[in-house]
Amino acid sequence: MTASQAGAPFPEPSADTTRQHRLAVAGVSKTFGSARVLRDIGLRIAPGELHGLVGQNGCGKSTLVKILTGIYTPDPGGAISVDGRPLSLPVRPLEARAAGLSIVHQNLGLVDDRTVWENVRLGRYKTAGPLTRRIDGKAERRAVAEVLATLGVTIDVNEHVGELSAEHRAVVAVARAIQDHKPGGGLIIFDESTRAMGKQARLRFFDLVKSVINTGVSVMLISHQLEEIVEVTDRVTVLRDGQVAETGIPTKEIDEAALTRLMLGRHMVTHTRVDSHAQDKPAAGIRGLAVRSVHGFDLDVKKGEIVGLTGIVGSGAAAAAEAIGGARQARGGVLRVEDKDSRDGRPREIRLGKKHASSEEFIEAGVAFVAERRLEQGLAAEMTVSQNLTLPRIRSRGHWLRTGRKWQAEETAAMIAKLDIRPPDPHKPVGSLSGGNQQKVLLGKWLASRPTLLVLHEPTQAVDVGARHDIINAIRETARDGCGVIISSVDAADLAVLCDRVLVFRDGKAVTELSGELIQDEIIDATFGTLGEAVKAADGNREPDEKEVAQ
Amino acid sequence: MTGTAQDASRAAAPAPPPRKHPGAFGFHDVSARFSILGVWAALIVVYSFTEPTLFPRTGTYQTIFGSQQPLVFMTMALMCTIVVGEFVDLSVPAVFGFSATILPVLVVNHSWGVWPASLAAIAAAVVVGLIQGLLVVRLHVNTIVVTLGMSTLLEGLSLWMSNMSTISGLPSSFGSIANQDVGGLPVDFYYGLALVLIFAYILWATPLGRHMRFVGASREVSRLSGVRVDRIRLGAFTFAGLLSGIGGVIAAAALGGYDATTANSFLLPTFAAVFLSTAILEPGRFNPLGTLLGIYFLATGILGLQLLGLQAWVSQVFYGGILVVAVTISTLLHRRSS
Repeated sequence: MTASQAGAPFPEPSADTTRQHRLAVAGVSKTFGSARVLRDIGLRIAPGELHGLVGQNGCGKSTLVKILTGIYTPDPGGAISVDGRPLSLPVRPLEARAAGLSIVHQNLGLVDDRTVWENVRLGRYKTAGPLTRRIDGKAERRAVAEVLATLGVTIDVNEHVGELSAEHRAVVAVARAIQDHKPGGGLIIFDESTRAMGKQARLRFFDLVKSVINTGVSVMLISHQLEEIVEVTDRVTVLRDGQVAETGIPTKEIDEAALTRLMLGRHMVTHTRVDSHAQDKPAAGIRGLAVRSVHGFDLDVKKGEIVGLTGIVGSGAAAAAEAIGGARQARGGVLRVEDKDSRDGRPREIRLGKKHASSEEFIEAGVAFVAERRLEQGLAAEMTVSQNLTLPRIRSRGHWLRTGRKWQAEETAAMIAKLDIRPPDPHKPVGSLSGGNQQKVLLGKWLASRPTLLVLHEPTQAVDVGARHDIINAIRETARDGCGVIISSVDAADLAVLCDRVLVFRDGKAVTELSGELIQDEIIDATFGTLGEAVKAADGNREPDEKEVAQ
Repeated sequence: MTGTAQDASRAAAPAPPPRKHPGAFGFHDVSARFSILGVWAALIVVYSFTEPTLFPRTGTYQTIFGSQQPLVFMTMALMCTIVVGEFVDLSVPAVFGFSATILPVLVVNHSWGVWPASLAAIAAAVVVGLIQGLLVVRLHVNTIVVTLGMSTLLEGLSLWMSNMSTISGLPSSFGSIANQDVGGLPVDFYYGLALVLIFAYILWATPLGRHMRFVGASREVSRLSGVRVDRIRLGAFTFAGLLSGIGGVIAAAALGGYDATTANSFLLPTFAAVFLSTAILEPGRFNPLGTLLGIYFLATGILGLQLLGLQAWVSQVFYGGILVVAVTISTLLHRRSS
């Protein structure tokens, strides 16, 4: 028994016998070109277990799922087995289905304008006879009704899925996943399936999942919502930087804060906090911001000050940062940014509730926004490093008849040197760079405009250690030069080394403000509110801070 | 302290791979950029040997370079929208024909002066472009539906205006704006050349061109970088209308009239030449100069084959076949080199 658990410090719940694992992954790695995105992954899921899989964006979760579903071929040497039977690699979808491995994708993967039975049977349609290729609708409907009956739910199989309640949509997705399973067998992977669900629908969804589990099916639940992972799963596996940080941890023995620590790791040793560069002069102020769940949010950022916004998914921290940066349409609010060129010293004012055709007004006011999804919002992959870097200023610095080569070359060279972008070739397409270097180009694109207010969203997500170091140093340097900085991040380690103060959001409100000497653990505890003392202590600190906010 | 950590992380980072090609152009680069031009040269050599009496004559080159102006204007109109990421503006030949029909109809049937009639024809084309732009950009209607529907509608209107027959009888003095001989070629050849050069310059060297390229590459990235994406897309459709309109007026002037039924036949050659440009000069990217070279390459191939005695069907075979083959080769070379 102990031999089978080498490396896993936690006993498995069904450790009474050496029963086969429903899913066993061992030694699976994946290399893209020179980048190793998965390294020696091993995890085991017992029959009837609800197993959680968590990790930051870019940790390799989706690569693992793509290997399990046969989209990617793993490097040679690994093994994947279901109920003790090894699968051939790469995984062949039909073989995996026969073995009882099925997946429910984001937003349940349903086709809204097709009926229930068509959705459930998609990819499995049987024809009526040897000559006709007509789908045997009667037999299909009967089969679907039977599957639904095993779930104890009655839904009209002829209803369009788009007409169903959120609860019944989940039933349809689960029915599709379990229909090929032997009774009491099989494994369903839920890949961020609950992302678009409301709280109520989510609760009912988990009731359904638990009833399926009770019949002996195993479930792997992949989610960003650590709260639900801790609440509903039996054990959890944490991926970090393409490796298993810890696997098979019983969720009874861990809370969200501890999970977060495992997800982030202790990669802060290369950084020490430096003194604050905050000056007494204001850089920008936000009044009455309303976006998503956020109402009436006020914030003042001084020159040289670095303010962190954090909170769990849906808390409003990310939405607030995006609205301030001009990337998300707000319902209301005003952003005032100090105007370097103004004669009367009056700040420039941007109405956040107004419909903005582009970020032009923000950029002119001196606001720069470093977006989270770098290849969708930040950089055009097919354009070169230099073209991407200079894009926001190509009109203001160029002449309408010519872009002007000199300033572009100088600006690009300066940013390549400052951020150590590799390879240092300004004419390479951005898409051919590594993730860390792409992130540096994105940061350089906005630093080069010498912003008054720099807003960053997850600035070090999915970058390597060296790039993270360079990015953190560059952000500090920018603050030292007098720029106000707002960072929205779930990475408490980044916030702890960078920020002068951190605002913690919950349900659309900044409920806690941490300042002074910031400690990663305190930020995590305040984010999840797991330690009553931490929240209380922070609330105690809150009075003077609010005065500051209201100034 | 941070210094040593930094050095350590530097040392851990992989060194950039050595560049295989120290110069600006590697072998693949050159072959991807100029392979079509090589094929063009080979075609000329082959035709010169197989048709020694007919092909290597000044008249042949006058035909090749003097007859493609309608296509030059239409491809540049299509280029406007393709560069900003709208790949299927099917209406270009119809707008061209619409403008080329309005001019002689107004002059011959309604006794307008040639200049006001030309302006009216161009204005009509611009309005059509603007309407299509508003439908696609503001109302988010599918581009294929808008441009296919509009193109059929305009063809119908053109046939109605012209009473389904060729309208001719534009004053010959007006024809000289297109036919005037300059150095052996009609003056409208130079209009087309100038248009292509200006377009290429805009894309290559102006902020507007850079914005257009980025809008074509990613609307969201452009929007967040302060580019007014919708304005650029709307402008592209409107400008496509303008170029089609001007091209139509010049074509009508050159011919002394217009046959509204002919416009439709330009649809495939227009797309063929524009897509062929992704295999010339700038591999993988639509570019005006490559389009111009592509037009003359296609014209050379077809003329040569016709001199060899092949019938009119050969142009369709040639346009279609070359398009598929050339773009496939270019795509493969581009992928391997990057």
